[in-house]
Amino acid sequence: MVDLATRTAPVPAEPAEFPGVSIALGVPLARWSLRARDAKALAKAVGHKVPTKIGGTEGGMACLGPDEWLLRLPEGATISMGEGLPLSVVDISERAITLVLEGPRAIDVLQSGAPRDLSKFAVGEARRTIYETVEMVLIREGEERWAVDVWRSFAPYLREALVTAASHLR
Amino acid sequence: MILIHCPYCEQTLPELEFAYAGEAHIARPADPSALSDEEWEKYLFIRANPRGRHNERWRHVHGCGRFFNAVRDTATDNFELTYKAGEPRK
Repeated sequence: MVDLATRTAPVPAEPAEFPGVSIALGVPLARWSLRARDAKALAKAVGHKVPTKIGGTEGGMACLGPDEWLLRLPEGATISMGEGLPLSVVDISERAITLVLEGPRAIDVLQSGAPRDLSKFAVGEARRTIYETVEMVLIREGEERWAVDVWRSFAPYLREALVTAASHLR
Repeated sequence: MILIHCPYCEQTLPELEFAYAGEAHIARPADPSALSDEEWEKYLFIRANPRGRHNERWRHVHGCGRFFNAVRDTATDNFELTYKAGEPRK
């Protein structure tokens, strides 16, 4: 039955191109929400390095809160689920999609609706934050490359808002 | 926009990322069934509601997700300080 599973993206697959920024649907990823009191125990259980500072990333692992992490790996990746240990590993791969904003004006497009000062957002940083009313996980993958993990049902609205903001750039 | 310092993220961030969660340091009675109706009403509904310095709970809901406590002046909306949940009243 798994072979028959099909995925439909909630937003168009074609990138929206504007002078200075492109807004594209990212490739599907495997995602896990990880909760644990002890970061070292979590690292041992899932076999990945675990950053302990909120906002920090280590490979695909992002620290979102004092006891919360998001692990993003290429589709098809598997990790140990930590059975019997005092931690929580939940597969949330299909909960969110990724929008990738790339270009020198990407920061301006995101800043149009994000209250956080993105000029202080370092490369390699990942934070849960908000765009207008939509919660998202924002990851600065490069100086001019941003990944936005957004819940599927919010994605059409968020993409539309970002495209509108990009079309108003001057 | 008001800026609020999250004691977990150790950043000062816009209020849009936060949610207010009522007065702080309201401890749930250990044995509710032993309380009189008046004591239970006091726990549930009666709040200090001062004009001025107020200890209150906030949640960094669109961020690290954690509840923390803040001291805010209810007249001026000025945040005096914030501190982690579980720390004594300041």
